[in-house]
Amino acid sequence: MSEVTFPFPFPQHLELILPEIILATMAMVTLMMSVFLSPARQSIVAWVSIATCFVTAAAVLYASGSAGLTTFYGYFVLDPFAAFAKLLMIIATVFAMFLSLDYMKKEVNVGEYYTLMLFALLGMMLMVSATNFVTMYLGLELMALSIYVLVAYQRDVLRSTEASLKYFILGALSSCMLLYGLTFLYGSTGSFMFSEMGTLISASGDELRFAVLTGMLFVLAGLAFKVSVAPFHMWTPDAYEGAPTPITAFMSVAPKVAGLVVFMRILHDVFPGLQAEYTSILMVMAVLSMAVGNIAAIAQRNIKRMLAYSTIGHVGFILLGLIAATGNGYTAIVFYMTVYLFMTMGVFAIIIMMRRDEIQGELLDDFAGLAKVRPGYALAMGLLMFSMAGIPFLGGFWAKAFVFMAVIETGHIVLATLGVLFSAIGAFYYIRIVKYMYFDDERVSFNFVKSGPLQTIVVLSTLIIVAIGLYPEPVMALCKLAMANFV
Amino acid sequence: MEPLNNVLNFPILSLAIFLPTLGAILIWLLIKDERMVRWTALLVAVATFILTLPLIFSFDTSTAHMQFEELHHWIPAFNIDYRLGVDGISMPFIVLTGLLTIICIVSAWNCIQTRIKEYMIAFLILETTLIGVFAALDVMLFYFFWEAMLIPMYLIIGVWGGKNRVYATLKFFLYTLTGSVLMLVALLAMYFESGATSFAMLHFMDYAFNFTWQFWIFIAFFVAFAVKVPMWPVHTWLPDAHTEAPTAGSVILAGILLKMGAYGFLRFSLPMLPDASQYFAPMMIGLSLVAIVYISLVAMMQKDMKRLIAYSSIAHMGFVTLGIFVFTQVALEGAVINMISHGFVAAALFLCVGVLYDRLHTREIADYGGVVNVMPVFAAVMLFFSMANVALPGTSAFIGEIMVLIGTFAADPTHMSVSAKWVAIAAAISVVLSACYTLWMYKRVIMGEAIKDSVKSMQDLSLREFSYFVPLIILVVWVGFYPMPVLDLLHASIAHLVEQATSSKLEAAALLEHTSALPYAGAH
Repeated sequence: MSEVTFPFPFPQHLELILPEIILATMAMVTLMMSVFLSPARQSIVAWVSIATCFVTAAAVLYASGSAGLTTFYGYFVLDPFAAFAKLLMIIATVFAMFLSLDYMKKEVNVGEYYTLMLFALLGMMLMVSATNFVTMYLGLELMALSIYVLVAYQRDVLRSTEASLKYFILGALSSCMLLYGLTFLYGSTGSFMFSEMGTLISASGDELRFAVLTGMLFVLAGLAFKVSVAPFHMWTPDAYEGAPTPITAFMSVAPKVAGLVVFMRILHDVFPGLQAEYTSILMVMAVLSMAVGNIAAIAQRNIKRMLAYSTIGHVGFILLGLIAATGNGYTAIVFYMTVYLFMTMGVFAIIIMMRRDEIQGELLDDFAGLAKVRPGYALAMGLLMFSMAGIPFLGGFWAKAFVFMAVIETGHIVLATLGVLFSAIGAFYYIRIVKYMYFDDERVSFNFVKSGPLQTIVVLSTLIIVAIGLYPEPVMALCKLAMANFV
Repeated sequence: MEPLNNVLNFPILSLAIFLPTLGAILIWLLIKDERMVRWTALLVAVATFILTLPLIFSFDTSTAHMQFEELHHWIPAFNIDYRLGVDGISMPFIVLTGLLTIICIVSAWNCIQTRIKEYMIAFLILETTLIGVFAALDVMLFYFFWEAMLIPMYLIIGVWGGKNRVYATLKFFLYTLTGSVLMLVALLAMYFESGATSFAMLHFMDYAFNFTWQFWIFIAFFVAFAVKVPMWPVHTWLPDAHTEAPTAGSVILAGILLKMGAYGFLRFSLPMLPDASQYFAPMMIGLSLVAIVYISLVAMMQKDMKRLIAYSSIAHMGFVTLGIFVFTQVALEGAVINMISHGFVAAALFLCVGVLYDRLHTREIADYGGVVNVMPVFAAVMLFFSMANVALPGTSAFIGEIMVLIGTFAADPTHMSVSAKWVAIAAAISVVLSACYTLWMYKRVIMGEAIKDSVKSMQDLSLREFSYFVPLIILVVWVGFYPMPVLDLLHASIAHLVEQATSSKLEAAALLEHTSALPYAGAH
């Protein structure tokens, strides 16, 4: 390697990191607010946090329009891809905060909760802008630590603390694996920069092959933990069930987006020379995820656990796009994540509304007869479930169709066939919810939480999913735009 | 963009597709009163039907070219277009869908009491998807409507069905979904293999797929379409779905949904995969004969009227698939006539059972007997449709079946592993079987003395009930005596289809490899 001179000029294009600066500042401000505000007025923190998200989104739009692409000596990038992922994560965070407004009302010191969400968002935003393993790991841990705490937020609820502990231990383990793999890669290449490592790994000969492959295997395993890909999915159902429901919604979307973006960047930039090798690993993981996600979900009686397995299944479908590793494949992934965001948020909003005094509203049986009492909510839930199952005229159909299209384009027809068969198996447990709502009689009395924000999210998500299903082109064009520079 | 062949200069197909959905949205948002819901739904259905009539009157029977075409970009990022058009094969089914939807809505007038609003909305949306399937010329658009149809049908069977409705509707949904997802993979694979720049069906018909591709794609299509038709042995969802569905659900299921599978064979398998179609023809003919003979025997043993008619539907669809896979003009036209005729007759028979069910709330044959004494008009109507089901000369089913039999008899003898004549004879014998089960059911339900008290108290047909049988009676007799108008619609399109299906897509060298399996190879 050439002689490393380490210059310290003032970083250029600092406006690229403006959204993160705003977010970090406001996260600390809200922390202070939650200390000084009286318990009765803690909800102010929530509204400040939501406003912060909007400002951050505006800053992302502003910053992504400027000329420079990297800052901090190339350690931080804001390409259209990162900007699009950031917007998705901000939307997910705002939605999750709206979901929390009512859910967390009774908790004490609720201010910290929103602060933690802001920090988690900050971590994820750093992740998607990372061009090297250091920035990526920094963001990853900031996100993970914040979410461990959020999962355990209801600290007097046993299952919540238990879930958090499981999540923490397995999460720590996965970070260890990631770092362990990284040492091999760093040892082989002497760099942390994605692109530089990619060039060196492609050029490396047989003597480094073992070290590079071992490193790749551990890095992939560590990342697979974060996006809950089978066989590294074991923490997901427990963490989903134990976490407060808005956090379940949050962690089933935002960290997945961040994790998948990192996944895509690392595979595309660091391991372009090992495509055959990583493709075979991904194939195994994709098939396992689709199988585990879609088959195990059938046995669940708790809808949060069911959705955990559903997430595993969806990530399995998304991995098909990574296997294709073409422009169409990556675009399909981004499109899938967009659709998945709205489907998931709509579903969780309805689950939260089902919560009543004694009943959690989390068992499938609790949905029985919903269509007779609340036809509107049942319709929304039904449409979202059909969308998750991938039935047209809903967005979920196109999400799956585009991924299959990408993977068939690269000749993996057997893989696509397995995929569609698992999606047909998965359809069973989605339409079973429709069965509960429409075909069964009411078993418990419904006493819906009346909440404007929740209703808004339900209506908005459902309308977006139907609109995407009927005319996916605008969203598709956006995704294409986001991925234009990536490939 | 290529010039569009649309004599009306007016997006008539789009309107026919989306008018029912607009009506459904209107009902959903604005109308509360149940009476108004019924009348609005009827109005929308009638308007849609009237809108489809110009398709017949402005149809150019001299060409096999697609007509009333429309083309808009839908998802340019993936070259998916909104492309509509009809030829003589698809157009009759659009009109039939319009007619049967009206009948469905009228038949549900009083007997559906719960959630009438949702019921009407579901039927109108179902109509949209069904017309869409027959009008779509872009394969992704076709698949879009094909799958979307599952949502309203799932709800119709599940919400308004009989006792065992949940089992039946889940079975229906999962069976058909599993079948059709394989078709999606096949369609996408064909797109990339052909290097096409659009998903237009016509492009897939023109591209020469090699034999391996045709082989596998045929299997994928076969799974999707055979489940829908349904062919033996993937027919088991149908008796359950038919039995548990509400009357109107059975009517639309038998009248239109089953035709979608046969339409798939006509539109996809034959023209796109001619060599594989010929290769698999002996298997298809064999399965059709099993459906005709074996399923007829099964039908005879049924105790439930709806189940019996469901099995009879499978047997009649066996005639359709038989007609499709002998590749002669007469047999193919007979198959389409059979599809249309079965749309009238099976729909009417399900309506007859519905009339009985509304009175006694049972479908068991043993619970009836001697109905003729209290319901003479109904007995006459049901006799008429029973005879039509038996394919008595003078009814539409006779035309369809005799054409299939003639076509099979005259089929190129080299092309089947057993002689075409024996196939025709075996199929002809089964006409006797259909007479057995239909007339035996008629005898047990209608004839004899009215012994049971419940039967004695039955009321004859009301005017509303009679009104929805009238158009079906007229159509059955009309097609039975004078099928030429329908055949005129079909001639050009079927002739084109026969040409496509009997000309090989393979290179000469590849043909030689498969000469033994592909009888028409010598001609090229």
